[in-house]
Amino acid sequence: MAGKIAVKFYALLRRRLGTSTVHVEADGLTVLELLRRVEKQAGRPFLDEFLDRERGLLAGTMILVNGENVRLKAKLETLVHAGDTMDLFSPVGGG
Amino acid sequence: MNGWMGRIVRIDLGSGRQEDIPVDPETRRRFLGGRGLGVRLYADMCPATIPPFAPENALLFMTGPLTGTVMTSGRYQVVSRSPLTGTICDSSSGGSFGAALKGAGFDGLVITGRAERPVFLFVYDGTVEVRDASELWGLDTHATQTSIQEQTSAKASVACIGPAGENRVPFASILNDRDRAAGRGGMGALMGAKNLKAVAALGGKAVAIADADGYKTMSARLERAVDKNAVTGKSLQVLGTAVLVNVINAHGMFPTENFRRGVFNDAEGISGEKIAESLLLRQSACYKCPIGCGRTTRTRNRQGEGPEYETVWAFGANLGISDLEVIAEANYACNELGLDTITMGGTIGCAMELCEAGAWDARFRWGDADRLDGWVRDTAHVRGLGAELALGSKRLAEKYGQPELAMQVKGMELPAYDPRGAQGMALAYATSSRGGCHMRGYMIMPEILGHPVFLDRFSTGGKPEIVALFQDIAAVVDSSVLCRFLQFAVGVSTLGEMLRTVTGLDFSDAELMTVGRRITTLERLFNNRAGFTRADDTLPPRFFNEEFQNGSSRHRRVRLEEMLDAYYAVRGWDREGAPLPATLAELGL
Repeated sequence: MAGKIAVKFYALLRRRLGTSTVHVEADGLTVLELLRRVEKQAGRPFLDEFLDRERGLLAGTMILVNGENVRLKAKLETLVHAGDTMDLFSPVGGG
Repeated sequence: MNGWMGRIVRIDLGSGRQEDIPVDPETRRRFLGGRGLGVRLYADMCPATIPPFAPENALLFMTGPLTGTVMTSGRYQVVSRSPLTGTICDSSSGGSFGAALKGAGFDGLVITGRAERPVFLFVYDGTVEVRDASELWGLDTHATQTSIQEQTSAKASVACIGPAGENRVPFASILNDRDRAAGRGGMGALMGAKNLKAVAALGGKAVAIADADGYKTMSARLERAVDKNAVTGKSLQVLGTAVLVNVINAHGMFPTENFRRGVFNDAEGISGEKIAESLLLRQSACYKCPIGCGRTTRTRNRQGEGPEYETVWAFGANLGISDLEVIAEANYACNELGLDTITMGGTIGCAMELCEAGAWDARFRWGDADRLDGWVRDTAHVRGLGAELALGSKRLAEKYGQPELAMQVKGMELPAYDPRGAQGMALAYATSSRGGCHMRGYMIMPEILGHPVFLDRFSTGGKPEIVALFQDIAAVVDSSVLCRFLQFAVGVSTLGEMLRTVTGLDFSDAELMTVGRRITTLERLFNNRAGFTRADDTLPPRFFNEEFQNGSSRHRRVRLEEMLDAYYAVRGWDREGAPLPATLAELGL
């Protein structure tokens, strides 16, 4: 999968999309570009669970690139490369 | 009186004597109820050095001013000195027992002495009856609850111990409403030491509400907020607390094989998502709770409650076990026998590492799913290898000469978040008033889940202030008494509004935060008197000296010393962690 980005869905998002992983043939996309690509590839809209109208990340959502939250990087402008993994979590809690 | 019932009764099981304990309005306002008022009354009654199993030690069952009112208010707190840690301890449980105890006319019960023979208490209509429980001794928690309901009322809510509590296992829990547990700190062992098998409560009295119209409006607003919130309105309902397995694993901080790694390769197989598609029969809910995070599950052989996040970790990743049915059945066994799943799993994990290191010649091996059930049962009955496990990890690791292999703080086993992945959580573990617990200050909320704001988990900057804030808020919620999960949907102001409409007393945000600080400081005072110092506000050396080699928390260590002085300063404590006279004066302690 070296030439692809693995995008993994968890929690309720997995149910909504009916799948746990998609692989996207791409390299050097921003998170936002990748999300759009994934939405198209998944065939079902889901970005409303992550982005507000101003395209800001909704509170409680977690987008990790190689295990690190993109809020600690360049947020939606964070670059994702071939071979990377992006994890998508809709808001969850527990304890 | 609004909110409170106005009665706390002390029952001495040795003499059979009962007397009301007066609580003045000012003390109620300053400590609320539940954990706060419980700790206040306990500290007034018992010296901090009291042996936990001494007959004169007190064991308190406490409700709060909100118990039996708004959603999630069926909870209760059990307060005493922990036989596991020697610290002050309060242990919280859901279900409806709290609402039933209050509906029986009591804000709390204070139990002292030791009964000559096994007894249970039946509490109803302002009365406490001490009844014989000789026939119940030896029964598991489910059989006990069923039998007591047959003897009292099918509507009674029963909080009881199983064999583990009878045998004084220092991490024995109290189970109520079938499978809800006051899990941590060994409060069940204290019941066993008192020959107290159970407390059955039959409600009936309504809680007087000061502002009925305001209460109605506030309740409707609360319902909307909980329903609209993505966590309380959706995720917890559908996937339960174990939805965190994949989250924490993806952050490289899912403790694996006694905290030696931060990524469990089989996490997906024990996740909340997997439970929902395999074991889940239905969700279950506590008193007046629209969330329903509980999981009623079924394996090929059995049916029961759980596993929740902590348990799926404790018997799963922590032991290298990925068979979800085995994990669930070990959870069922702990519920029936009355054992804390976190300490049970933490102690077995410690045993496995002790054996691997050659320090102990016993048959504990990573991933040994076949023996798990037997270890749990033997622990409750304190027999065979279970007699060793019943020590808890700290005493076990000390016995075999490798104390550093016990993943505990102040004797309480750590839960399912590796502190190298969240510096604030590390500080909260080190300073928690009851030892290695995530519930005193749940920093995973901001550091991982992004509630109410997102914080950099690897930074220590600002963490002392935020940890203190989270600890104080938790103390207020535990004293009100409500479920912590409401914090995902509402803030302190809403809590103040609930307290105002129910009690008629105005609580500003600032006053509530002072109440929280007063409680956490009182707990600190007690622990200092019990002999705990700065040296105990620490973590096992693994977290300072060893790094993960993979996962997104790799190459990280806990930087506690960067935070501890600042934390003490924020708290108004000296460099040794003792509250300063000015702090005590400010808080009226």
